[in-house]
Amino acid sequence: MKKYLLKRIVISITTLLLILLILFLMLEYMPGSPFNDEKLTVEQLALLNQKYGLDKPVFVRFFNYVKNMLTGDFGVSYTISKNTPISTLLETRLPISVRIGGQAVLLGTIIGLILGVVAALKHNTIWDTMTTVISVLGVSLPSYVFALGLSYSLGFKVNLFPLLYDGGAPFKSSVLPTIALCMFTIATIARFTRTEMLEVLDSDYMQLAESKGINGIRLITRHALRNALIPIITVLAPLIVGLMTGSLVIEKIFSIPGIGSLLVTAIQSNDYNVIVAIAFIYSAMYIGIMLLVDILYGVIDPRIRLAKGDEHE
Amino acid sequence: MNKGAINMKSIKKLLSLAVAMSLTFSLVACGGGSKTSGNNGSGSEASETSGGTLKVQFDVEVASMDPQIATDGTSFEAIAAITEGLYSVDADGNPILAIAESAEKSEDGLTYKFKLKDAKWSNGTAVTANDFVFAWRRLADPKTASEYAFMVSIAGLKNADAVLAGEKGVEELGVKAEDDKTLVVELSHPVTFFESLMTFPSFFPVNEEFFKQAGDNFGTSPDTILANGPFKVASYEPAATTIELVKNDQYWDAASVKLDGIQFQVIKEAQQTMLSYQNGDLDVATLAGEQVEQFKNDPEFNNVAAGYLWYLSPNQKVKGLENVNLRKAIALSFDKEAIVNNILKDGSIVADFAVPKLLATGPDGKDFREGIEPYLSTDKEKAKEYFEKAKKELGQEAFSYKMVVEDTESAQNVAQFIQAQVQENLPGVTIELEVMPKKNRVERMQAGDYELGLTRWGPDYADPMTYLDMWTTDSPNNYGLWSNAEYDKIIESAKNGELSLDPEARWTALKDAEKMVMDEAVILPIYQKGNAVMIKSNVSGIEHHSVGVTRIFKNVTKN
Repeated sequence: MKKYLLKRIVISITTLLLILLILFLMLEYMPGSPFNDEKLTVEQLALLNQKYGLDKPVFVRFFNYVKNMLTGDFGVSYTISKNTPISTLLETRLPISVRIGGQAVLLGTIIGLILGVVAALKHNTIWDTMTTVISVLGVSLPSYVFALGLSYSLGFKVNLFPLLYDGGAPFKSSVLPTIALCMFTIATIARFTRTEMLEVLDSDYMQLAESKGINGIRLITRHALRNALIPIITVLAPLIVGLMTGSLVIEKIFSIPGIGSLLVTAIQSNDYNVIVAIAFIYSAMYIGIMLLVDILYGVIDPRIRLAKGDEHE
Repeated sequence: MNKGAINMKSIKKLLSLAVAMSLTFSLVACGGGSKTSGNNGSGSEASETSGGTLKVQFDVEVASMDPQIATDGTSFEAIAAITEGLYSVDADGNPILAIAESAEKSEDGLTYKFKLKDAKWSNGTAVTANDFVFAWRRLADPKTASEYAFMVSIAGLKNADAVLAGEKGVEELGVKAEDDKTLVVELSHPVTFFESLMTFPSFFPVNEEFFKQAGDNFGTSPDTILANGPFKVASYEPAATTIELVKNDQYWDAASVKLDGIQFQVIKEAQQTMLSYQNGDLDVATLAGEQVEQFKNDPEFNNVAAGYLWYLSPNQKVKGLENVNLRKAIALSFDKEAIVNNILKDGSIVADFAVPKLLATGPDGKDFREGIEPYLSTDKEKAKEYFEKAKKELGQEAFSYKMVVEDTESAQNVAQFIQAQVQENLPGVTIELEVMPKKNRVERMQAGDYELGLTRWGPDYADPMTYLDMWTTDSPNNYGLWSNAEYDKIIESAKNGELSLDPEARWTALKDAEKMVMDEAVILPIYQKGNAVMIKSNVSGIEHHSVGVTRIFKNVTKN
């Protein structure tokens, strides 16, 4: 297990560094600069470039950048919030995106699992059809359709929930965004769960378990679901990252001060440092979650880590 | 089979679990939200006994609350709600004394002596002349690297250019504090619109001691933002989507302020903006293009002029474009009404001028544009006539030009329309669009590496010079490279010479200068940007301006 773990960690770190390099180089050659004002003279531009260290050669800047990143210094925003350390911006915005994303994942996964299990157990009945319809809708309709629809109906017409995110009522004003966000998760998880459960329910070990007298919830959770979980976790991992890092559209619609909306604004205003910082965080979270998933695989299904081949020379 | 029996029970259990969870979820949601901050209610609260809180929509986050660093309209509005400089503007855009109690100008217009009121900052400290000296030096200091540092040069402060270039220390800048309440300003040449410049946030004071204590955190939280204006900051963080201001009791004119506070809410989505407006969460909202049709007959709909002038810039070094008849032909050939009414639909107006409306008021108390006939108005017949003349003079039948355009949606729509119109009404002319990011477009035009360019210019101060100064021979913004010695003379004299000492003569001369630019079709004006805003009928007193601080909230009443 240790070797497996070590190998995965080393690969993760290398991937991360490579991503950082690529991001940085991409920004170097992207047209446009943060100082967009046509009123700046050549001298002023030089001053500004010097102030932000933009006049040093590429590799020097990259090296300094990596060094700073590892100490938590992501640099300073140029346009969104002038002279503000990016770590300050992230401090306030990241928790909000993570919380709302977390809520969506939780809600989405639970509902999705339940729907999927029900659909599999009640194969080819009305429950099954309903689940399929919900899944198709959830996957095909863009999240902003749900968002605007929920906003209009539950927020405006009926006034049940606030239209926009409100820091003073963080939970209540996050209900609509959470529901809009979790639709896709519900749909995906439900579909996967249903498919996997169907396969599992038909298998030999299920018949064996039943013949041993195990039934009810125990049968479903301990025996059926556990085997169906592997592919579900695989799908869940990128979903989690996507949701936690803040759906860009949902954040814009509900005016949520999260890092998704920060990224979009940064791209539109060429705020270099912010773009690279957030892209890096996304990558780090993704790699982190994949690592976690790999470990989980090993826990759930010992066959996987053994099958990797590093245990037997 | 066994499965049937298991499943019914299991399903029931699962379903009851699901129902229980949803119920719990919604209970917590509704229950947990009851401690709302009070500002975000559905429907109005009857609890306010006094002025109420004005809820204003912003379409972008505030970039900075530091007066010498901020450069955008949104930041200016927030800063000006909490800070005042020597002068402020009245509802008509005229400068009025604010922190300055009185102003003495020397005969030659080179020295100003300002006596300050007994004004206080929100922490009780007095506003002193040194606050201004410190702020202006910061503005000019190359180390601050402020994008608006050039304003000290526009203001004509002594040694401004040398300080900006780093050749002289900031102490040499033409401003000093004679004593706590007396500020003395020295200029290198008279500046007729000096008072108007003082209303610009870049010249707002900063308390040196407070600034040093706050250090790098200056301007990032209610504790590190000091106010000497009608309101002060109650809640703010960098790139916040909600900013709350409350009335500042230490403000010297607090008696005139009727509002309890202001709440700025950043909303970028058009539907959400209007829904929030309609259910009372907003009192002031800006409409997007598609929504104008829907609301333009609503009594709460308002059209507000902004400052930007959009125009085509022909490069006169390019073959054919040096001919004034060809330039005029192009200028008259596209339907400007159609552009503002069908494409933009946001309250923008047709521009038949080089100096926008509502920018500057003259010594006669009238807007610059008043009394001047439109220039270069759309006239397809006349356009064809000019075109015939140009063809004869140039000995050419066909012309082909590339137009550089930035990649924003509205710019591209306008460009495509103009391209179609010109090609239709001036057969023989073909235009090819080159779309690129704004920075590239600006670079190309600055380098003279373009043929036709769709560009805009926003005013930096409330005087026609902010536009007319662009077309002198050596101006870096004279992309079309037009050169006229007589024009240069007029502008120079109006800035630094004889005309600068005679306001009425200067004003007339500036009008003549504009006529020269228009008669020569140096630029081909298209439209002046406007905004469509909804303002609740129980709100009055929002002062809109097209330059500097675009909205002033000091005198707002909410019934």
